[in-house]
Amino acid sequence: MEIIELVDLALKEALKLGATDISSICSKTNENMIRFSNNSITVNKNIKNLELFLYLAKDNKRIMGSTSNPSIKEIKEFTLNLIKACEELSPSPDYTPLPRIETKYTSHGIYDEKLVEDGMKLIEFVKEAIDAGLEAGANRVSGSLMASEENLAILTSGNATGEDKRTKILLNVRAFSNKEASGHGLSCAARLKDFNPYEAGKEAGEYAKASINPNPWEEGIYDLITLPTVTADIIQHVGSFASAFTVDTGLSFLTDKINQKVSVDNFTLRDYGVIEGGFGGRGFDDEGFPTCENLIIEKGVLKNYLHNSTTAKKFNTSSTGNAGIIDPHPWNLVVDSGDMSTDDIIKEVKRGMMVTNNWYTRFQNMRTGEYSTIPRDAAFLIENGKIKHPIAGLRISDSFPRQLANIIAISKERRWIEWWEVSIPTLAPSMLIKNVTITKALG
Amino acid sequence: MINLDEDLLLFAIDLAQRLGADYAEARLHRTKELGCLLRNGAPEPAVIGDAYGIGIRVIHSGSLAFFATNDISKKNIKNIVESAVKRAKASLPLLKHKVLLSKEKSIKVDWKVEEKKSIENIGFDDLFGLLKDVDHLIKDGKADVAFPNRLLVSSTLLEEKFYMNSDGVMIRSRVPKVGFHSYITTSYKGKTTTITIPSGYSQLGESGGWEVIERLKIFEYIQKEAENLSFAVKNEQKPPKEIVDVILGPQVSGIIAHESAGHPGEADRILGREAAQAGESYLKPNDLNLKIGSKEAYVSDDPTIPNSNGFYLYDDEGVPARKRRLIEAGIISEFLHNRATAYEFKISSNGSSRATRYDREPIVRMANTFVEPGDHSLEELFEDIELGVYIKSFMEWNIDDKRLNQRYVGLEAYLIEKGEIKNMVRNPVLEITTPKLWSSVDARSKEVEFVAATCGKGDPMQGIPVWTGGPNIRLRAIRLGER
Repeated sequence: MEIIELVDLALKEALKLGATDISSICSKTNENMIRFSNNSITVNKNIKNLELFLYLAKDNKRIMGSTSNPSIKEIKEFTLNLIKACEELSPSPDYTPLPRIETKYTSHGIYDEKLVEDGMKLIEFVKEAIDAGLEAGANRVSGSLMASEENLAILTSGNATGEDKRTKILLNVRAFSNKEASGHGLSCAARLKDFNPYEAGKEAGEYAKASINPNPWEEGIYDLITLPTVTADIIQHVGSFASAFTVDTGLSFLTDKINQKVSVDNFTLRDYGVIEGGFGGRGFDDEGFPTCENLIIEKGVLKNYLHNSTTAKKFNTSSTGNAGIIDPHPWNLVVDSGDMSTDDIIKEVKRGMMVTNNWYTRFQNMRTGEYSTIPRDAAFLIENGKIKHPIAGLRISDSFPRQLANIIAISKERRWIEWWEVSIPTLAPSMLIKNVTITKALG
Repeated sequence: MINLDEDLLLFAIDLAQRLGADYAEARLHRTKELGCLLRNGAPEPAVIGDAYGIGIRVIHSGSLAFFATNDISKKNIKNIVESAVKRAKASLPLLKHKVLLSKEKSIKVDWKVEEKKSIENIGFDDLFGLLKDVDHLIKDGKADVAFPNRLLVSSTLLEEKFYMNSDGVMIRSRVPKVGFHSYITTSYKGKTTTITIPSGYSQLGESGGWEVIERLKIFEYIQKEAENLSFAVKNEQKPPKEIVDVILGPQVSGIIAHESAGHPGEADRILGREAAQAGESYLKPNDLNLKIGSKEAYVSDDPTIPNSNGFYLYDDEGVPARKRRLIEAGIISEFLHNRATAYEFKISSNGSSRATRYDREPIVRMANTFVEPGDHSLEELFEDIELGVYIKSFMEWNIDDKRLNQRYVGLEAYLIEKGEIKNMVRNPVLEITTPKLWSSVDARSKEVEFVAATCGKGDPMQGIPVWTGGPNIRLRAIRLGER
């Protein structure tokens, strides 16, 4: 059966069993991956899945489920079980009817059939990335390359119907020039023409070479340049904390900040359901509501939270097309570009640091945004507008509100970022943030 | 138990070998989950997840491929196996290092975790009922601290597997699990702090049936933690700036065992396989017997602890599970291995290979990692401390990708003066290197406590259930930071 027929079958079964609100979404995915380390392929992977997601409401009781076995027989059984379980539940005071949409969605077109293949081409791309890293000065190169295709179909009791499809290719390269020095490079694209394994490998190799022999440094307050991969990690957290569910649960530093200044005049953050170049979105959300462009922060002022129907009702506003049935989420985050090149931003810094990559962002207090994260791979001390020498072993120990308010420059250049640590596709610039606390381990 | 014709698995393995594979394995794997969220006393939509499919690994001339699908028709499995062998062969020109497996015993066994109250008879009324009772306990706040927002989560997981490989292994398993965690926003005199119970974004969780809830003494635990953490968020006193002795509670010693002894001891990281994602290790292949800590530094990982969250008897390569002693008397004594890393080290696997779902490859994982108990009572740990800090629990933590530079920020923490616990101190920061940390341990208490957690590793990501734990441990001469 085609996926549009599967969602139709599930919806009809649920209606027959008395559900009043139904969102039926089927996803068919084909993901090819190659992982490599020490200049050698370690594993080839392929994952093909067909999954049905079903949200049901009956008598103000709500339930959702997913099954990875959407055969005709299984869909009937799964829907029956879901309804039976739904009937056990207590009515929810937050129940909100699914939106009536009356829309037929068609593919948004950010799709490249050249990425729909058997994975053989990926082997050549991996070779290109490894060779580029080695040429640039690394002595060993690791990484992962993933190309995927997803076909989606939706049918809701609110009369939203249609299909969408998307592709993406993500390469993450980490090159090492010795035990202590490493560099990171990425290439992320929705279409093959925008994908460049050579540049990703070269970037990783060059950073690996540039970070040999890190010099000692003192912990303290520094002006910090975050290159796009680090900016993207910061931004994906800001985007996630803009979820109205997270806000309403008191777990966001953006709680009670609508129409308040949370950042500087030249900082604007948007989320797009679908955007050329982006690869995370689709034309409809999990409630069948159309996705769109949403301003989260405009010129430093928090303008909107991200909503589904339930949170929108609570906040007396409209859905922004970001459902998540429980928790709304961003699709593709975009920071408006600034007016300086990254090179010019470096020239602005008297005493600072530049970080190229990070991981392990954790919060002490989500409401105040106090957190720390660990830069990894190449990092540099900057003095009097020039990169002085590589450094290692630093930790950014600060708070999101303070950092958003302390952005003093945003680069013209931006890059799409998605990798192991940044799960929300983000178009990110470099940023200069003043007075950031940098700490190190005692030992 | 998964009741499926074993011919399907035999077919996949046989076909792979006929196509030239030197090794093949197939794993039917089902994960059925129920999840409930109660927010401020009101139910969010209940959640059911049912994932069932097959994961197949083949090795051809040292080239490894892992292919997975949820279409388990014979026709599709044939396609999958053929594609996997083809891709493995096609990668040979870029294969600088062959994947070869250690020799292990051929085992045929069925095993399962016993349940007194089967989770298959547990419904959303039980799961929500638990959460409503917990919410009732805490909704009015504690110790003058209000809890205006409470997000409580309960879950059951039933994991069933049927595994076979070309070395003659055939294993069926069934493991039920029950879990709880929570996010709470506290408010006191205009100050808002988010906490979790258990702290450190961890969970209460065990393998077993619904009787786990009684075993965990969940209501007593939450009542006590809610009170203790309320006092913690009210407190404003900074930790001392001078060098002090530090006692770390079981939650903190547990996360330290996991992060700075367990992860760096994973042999796949040591060999560089995880370099681009979860990272490598400060340990190198020849670092067995390296001195990393004091004579009091003992860390183990043991999947066979009954009822534990990381419990298993055979890993996802069919190797029997056993306790692994990672650090003994300050010396690195064992790494965590799967069959591929064991081959590299010319030893047998110690059964550390696990996969979270059918569409995830088995990789080297921890199970239940902990600091071993010592011979001190808690009072004895305190008694000769002139000035110190007792960090009982934490929230923020992280560690670099070589597992050398780590940070734990206390939540419930107390000043110690002349051997006695005094007032609380706010958010003491232990930011320390791994050798300094383990070298500073000079005593451990007798009792070990565990919490459940989800450990992340792999690409695509695999969040796997574990326990972290330990006794109270004493570290001498530490300089703490403040937040």
